[in-house]
Amino acid sequence: SHTADARRHLDNRGYVGPLTRGVNPATLFEKPVVDRIIESYYWKEQCFGLNEASLCDRAVELTSVGGVYGGGSLGKASPFLCLAFKLLTLAPDRAVVEAYLNWGAEDGDYEDEDEEAAMDEDGGAGPREKNARRGRGADREPDPHEPPRRAGAFKYVRALAAFYVRVAWDAVDVYRTLEPLLGDWRKLRRRTRAGFVLTTVDQFVDDLLTKERVCATTLWKLPQRSLLEDLDLLEPRVSPLGEELEALDADLEGGEG
Amino acid sequence: MADPRKSAYGAAAGGPSDTSFRRTWDREEYAAKAAARAERERAEGRARHEARLAGKKYVAPGRGRRGSTPPDARATEARRARLDVAAQVGKTQLVAAAAAVGKRGKGAGFYCPDCDLTFKDNVAYVEHLNSRQHLVAVGQTGEVERAGAAQVRERLRWLWWKGVRERAEEGDVDLGKRVEDAVRREEKEREEKRRKRNEKRRKRKGGDDDVPAWQKVENDGFIY
Repeated sequence: SHTADARRHLDNRGYVGPLTRGVNPATLFEKPVVDRIIESYYWKEQCFGLNEASLCDRAVELTSVGGVYGGGSLGKASPFLCLAFKLLTLAPDRAVVEAYLNWGAEDGDYEDEDEEAAMDEDGGAGPREKNARRGRGADREPDPHEPPRRAGAFKYVRALAAFYVRVAWDAVDVYRTLEPLLGDWRKLRRRTRAGFVLTTVDQFVDDLLTKERVCATTLWKLPQRSLLEDLDLLEPRVSPLGEELEALDADLEGGEG
Repeated sequence: MADPRKSAYGAAAGGPSDTSFRRTWDREEYAAKAAARAERERAEGRARHEARLAGKKYVAPGRGRRGSTPPDARATEARRARLDVAAQVGKTQLVAAAAAVGKRGKGAGFYCPDCDLTFKDNVAYVEHLNSRQHLVAVGQTGEVERAGAAQVRERLRWLWWKGVRERAEEGDVDLGKRVEDAVRREEKEREEKRRKRNEKRRKRKGGDDDVPAWQKVENDGFIY
């Protein structure tokens, strides 16, 4: 079990808990940033006593990604950053992080027992009608109040998990896990020092893979993908746009030639 | 000759009633107490011996040296709802100058009934609610249970359907309709403000057409 607050992680001299990337996970963020997080009201009120499951409640309420914003020279920690720090201190295992990233890809994820209980009181509707109403199976009517069902159905939860993967996992796992997210075109709101900026999940993940500093954190240096391919740790990347890119190149060459 | 039991002083001097002012002991009661104590000491000796054999330290029962965890302590959980810190904003209240320990604790501020502490600041209040002192007072251990991937998936599923139900309850999210609702609400508020402003103005001016307040008493205020 974890402690309700992060006090065991804060003083690195006495740290004896689980390590990520060989160190105390709280040291993966810089000390001034950690100070901003711990002093924020969001951390004190809403990040106390979270475990991997109740963190989902908070993550689902997120409305922006971001690091530190506004507030003069020091700035304030955004809820996204506070939850990312909480995730670091919780040190969840692979299955949990993959659940955050890719929940919602299968129909089985959406089975609703409450609906079942309510429907059963209707007095014996046939199973096909029940399925149609409830939204399971092939013959479902789309519920107008339901967002589209897809992997990573909650996009801010997915962004949070992607950030955690980039900060905490090894290079091969980072590439393998984050590359599928490069096809997620959904919009995200990013909170910068000055204000809000529109971005998308794939732009955010691309920043994670290429930039040095994202969300008030200096990301550890990811080796080039070509290097890992040469070492036979990864297969060469097949882009989903592969055919279109080749066609484009062919057109360009044809035009010049 | 007088009764040898009676002394020259009349009452039986040197007899039992002469020292009746002294304490007496119930021998059986104290014998029983001594036996019980001997039994307890023997039991403790046995327990110490067993602890030494097992290599453990003997701890006297009911005398936790360092505030041990009570057996019915619950694991800590995250808050389910936001803290309501804005309830008293804008309100004026009279506060006792001395420390009045009543239902609201000492004076104004955020009161914690479990620890009988008042805080003037919501940040201090929240920090207190997270502190060891408060958790012990509430009977929590400060440790949180781990959750596995299955529970995380279950939670995400519950949150999904909760979102769908909330959106269904909200009803139509047509932008035009929401704009209309907002405009109507604003109109209503403006009307309210206008009405209140007019009332206040009327009251302050006193009104030349209105009857002055002191004339509204009986007999027009004259006392006969």
